[in-house]
Amino acid sequence: MTPFRRLARRLRHLFRRRQTEAEMREEMSFHLEQRAADYAADGLPAEEARYAAQRRFGNAGSLQERARETWGWGWLERAFKDFRLAWRQLAGNPGFTLLAIVTLALGIGANTAMFSILDGILFKPLPYPDSAQLERIYRATPQTNLGNLSPAGVADFLRVKRTYADAAAYTIGESSLSEPGHPAEMVSTIRVTANLLVLLGLPPQLGRDFRPEEAAPGRDRVVLLSHRIWLGRFGGAPGIIGRTIRIDGEPHEVIGVLPEALNDGRHLGGIDFYRPLAFSQEQRADRTSTTYRILLRRFPGHSRTEVAGIVAGFGARQAAAFPAVNAESTWRTVALLDTIFDSNGATMLSMLIGLSALVLLIACSNLANLLLARTMARAREFAVRSALGASRTQLLRPLVAESLLLALAGGVCAILIAFWFRDYMTARSTDDNGAQIVFVLGWRVFAWTFGASLATALAFGLAPALYALRLDLNQTLKSGGRGTTGGRGHQRFRHVLIIGQFAVAMVLLAGAGIFIRGLYELNNRRAGWTSEHLVTGTLLLPAGHYADTEKITAFHRLALQRLAALPGVASVSLSSFTPFFAWTDIRKFIVEGQERPKPGHEPAAAVNGVSPGYFDTFGTRVLAGRGFDEHDTAASPKVFLLGESTARALFGRENPLGRRLAIADGASPRWGEIVGIVKSVEPAVAEPNPVFNQVYQPLAQEPRPQTEIAVRMTGAIPVSLEASIRTTMAELDPDLPVRNLKAADAAIVRANYRFAVLRDMLSAMALLGLGLASLGIYGIIARTMAQRAGEFAIRLALGASIENVTRLVLASGVKLALIGSTLGLLGAFGLSRLLAATITGIHLDGTAVLAGTTLLLVAVALIACWLPARRAGRVDAMSVLRAE
Amino acid sequence: MAQKADLFQGTLDMLVLRVLSRGELHGWGITNKLEQLSKSALQVDEGSLYPALYRMEEKGWIEAEWKMTENNRRAKYYSLTRAGRKQLEVAQDSWDRMTAIIAQVMHST
Repeated sequence: MTPFRRLARRLRHLFRRRQTEAEMREEMSFHLEQRAADYAADGLPAEEARYAAQRRFGNAGSLQERARETWGWGWLERAFKDFRLAWRQLAGNPGFTLLAIVTLALGIGANTAMFSILDGILFKPLPYPDSAQLERIYRATPQTNLGNLSPAGVADFLRVKRTYADAAAYTIGESSLSEPGHPAEMVSTIRVTANLLVLLGLPPQLGRDFRPEEAAPGRDRVVLLSHRIWLGRFGGAPGIIGRTIRIDGEPHEVIGVLPEALNDGRHLGGIDFYRPLAFSQEQRADRTSTTYRILLRRFPGHSRTEVAGIVAGFGARQAAAFPAVNAESTWRTVALLDTIFDSNGATMLSMLIGLSALVLLIACSNLANLLLARTMARAREFAVRSALGASRTQLLRPLVAESLLLALAGGVCAILIAFWFRDYMTARSTDDNGAQIVFVLGWRVFAWTFGASLATALAFGLAPALYALRLDLNQTLKSGGRGTTGGRGHQRFRHVLIIGQFAVAMVLLAGAGIFIRGLYELNNRRAGWTSEHLVTGTLLLPAGHYADTEKITAFHRLALQRLAALPGVASVSLSSFTPFFAWTDIRKFIVEGQERPKPGHEPAAAVNGVSPGYFDTFGTRVLAGRGFDEHDTAASPKVFLLGESTARALFGRENPLGRRLAIADGASPRWGEIVGIVKSVEPAVAEPNPVFNQVYQPLAQEPRPQTEIAVRMTGAIPVSLEASIRTTMAELDPDLPVRNLKAADAAIVRANYRFAVLRDMLSAMALLGLGLASLGIYGIIARTMAQRAGEFAIRLALGASIENVTRLVLASGVKLALIGSTLGLLGAFGLSRLLAATITGIHLDGTAVLAGTTLLLVAVALIACWLPARRAGRVDAMSVLRAE
Repeated sequence: MAQKADLFQGTLDMLVLRVLSRGELHGWGITNKLEQLSKSALQVDEGSLYPALYRMEEKGWIEAEWKMTENNRRAKYYSLTRAGRKQLEVAQDSWDRMTAIIAQVMHST
């Protein structure tokens, strides 16, 4: 028979079962009648003839059963029956069922939510075709291994003919966007070589790509729009092509719109304006500024290591050719997908995943205890059924069905939690320009959820069942109406559960606690500066209007005067950086009168150019000498200030005032005198590669178009202040955008918002874990106590005092809690060391948290034991003993 | 009556095929025929014939049709298919080989 006909036949049996069964019965009864007639003909009475025929025929019921098997639907029927049985069991026990489903849903839900992050960031490929071929080049220096490249280095690299890969360069920055009728805005822009979009494999969806000849100064006033800004700001109209918009004070023609896929938050998603990269003559000679990046697309047939080797070779030649700037630099390639995360990010992600696994583990242990208790309560039922001839498989099948139903319900709830979490993440991850990280819940996430709930429910549902079935049949039956208290092994299993829960909860709470505390410290770190009554923002002078430094300085002076004149202002300043964010201008320097290191091997310092009034505005104390004032100009002698710890490191006990140092960036050193020492500062953001040395110079002696504006008020910040600052600036220049103008405290919180999301997730997980663990511990101890009620009754009857019994209960519970916490403490200590070693820029001190967590857990254990202990002490000995 | 013998596992199928090879029969008829051919020496629950029949129908060795008996009763008549005929040959062959081997072993000195 062909498979198809066989299937058709089977389906007929399934859907016309009534008919098949009737035919089967008819056929068999025909047989029986004939046989009975035979016997009757031999002279037996009709009644006996029928019985004889039936005896000879055998058990008709079981034969029909066997026949049904033949048609292949027996398993389905049995499964159906098992599920019906399981459903009845679960529905008949709503308390247990609800608890089990909620436990499973919370455990799996937390896990799914974390997995969806992992999936959205690491498992989902980048939106570029064949994105595995893409590599990014970094310059590794003693300060950082994620350094960017200089324009001259990039230009050299692009000039080399490559047979192993295609290369494109880009630089990301801020520009001012001003249009008639709108206040000027600061927007994220990228300048790219004309081949970048081709290299990525995502050409514009509308209009055209850049032309190679547009990569020249003067011809580069064309712009491509991101899909997001095209929809959001320009209404998604195709007529945008050919329109002119004003960027950095100059008209630019819109030549195209990029595809939506490019708005992937993991790589270039936050950028709205693409412009051609045109190196000017000075830039081609600039080997010190480091804001350029290179992307490679490997040609097929060239391995990662091969390409990495070639790039490293190029870096080595750069270092040899220009030792003054590159002596300590090496070039390295990193797969593009691996550049999404710095090492902190990777550690934090793995920590989230790990902690969510601990939550799941606690949930599992609760589930195991619940199911064990239930199986124990039904042990007698199993024993009776097995005595009646049910096989192990037959006993287990409905239990498996129960686990499957629980897994399904738990999985569905977990998916709901994951959806809610996705909306939460989308809302929390909204960037200033509207860019959002959206985690798509795809099949990978769902597969994970149901796989995890299935594995959990089966493992923890079946383990107790298998255990129960191992119990001695006779023993169980003989133990009579008492139900089982469980043997020693069973008791030990409970103890392991309690110890395990304490240990896991300890690691979970300590891990989360250490981090939450670290983030709190980070947000409230005011090291060397203050933030009360302080408003900050970023100011960008459009390159078109401020081509030379005199113009910039003149503007700065005017802006400071106007801002200082606003009512209620105590002091104002402009600076390259604020003390609460990272200083990214890293320079090498030399000290007069000290041995000069080999060129390129000089010490590095983070340099901040500040206006007079900076130290008053940020509350950074000048410890010795003087701050900068109006007389420190481009024309006056160069001067520097040092951070306290830098001064001590460089000069020890000697007086640094009057000594001279110079920035050494390849050109001839420009010496300046150290005129003051200020308190060292530390930023309120987690900086992966902090630079130890802090050097200040007057902004006027090295003016730059982008500065941080800071206004300190004498009292509380008036609501109207931001508006009046913007108006003041717009009056000076309508093309001038001020970005992120807000209270310093708000800016710090905003800068750390990813950490805040992390903190919220960790808090939720810690609370969830604590709740589940408390519930579980209480449940296990309460059940153990309940089962020992008989024992307590005997003790009381024999003259033990209530205190004796209570103490017994408390002691046994607390002992387990202490063992568990001690084990957990070892794990938590290891975790805290690991976190402190891998996460930089956050102070992660675990001691207080570890102590607090231990106390908390012991308190939980005491309460969990005390309640059942009180009940145990109140046991009415007579009634318990009579009940036996 | 001759001594009764249990049926070897799986031989019932072969016997039924053999009986049906002479023409279509209903279940009761097959039982009678088997009894007749074996001179009532085979010990088997008569009912176990039916699961065997359904199984072979499932495998496509036999097919069934409802017909009237000579006494005008409805009965399910089974007949051999081509596959059934082939199966009978295969079963017969292997049976012959098997018995020959067993006989050889048992009668060796």
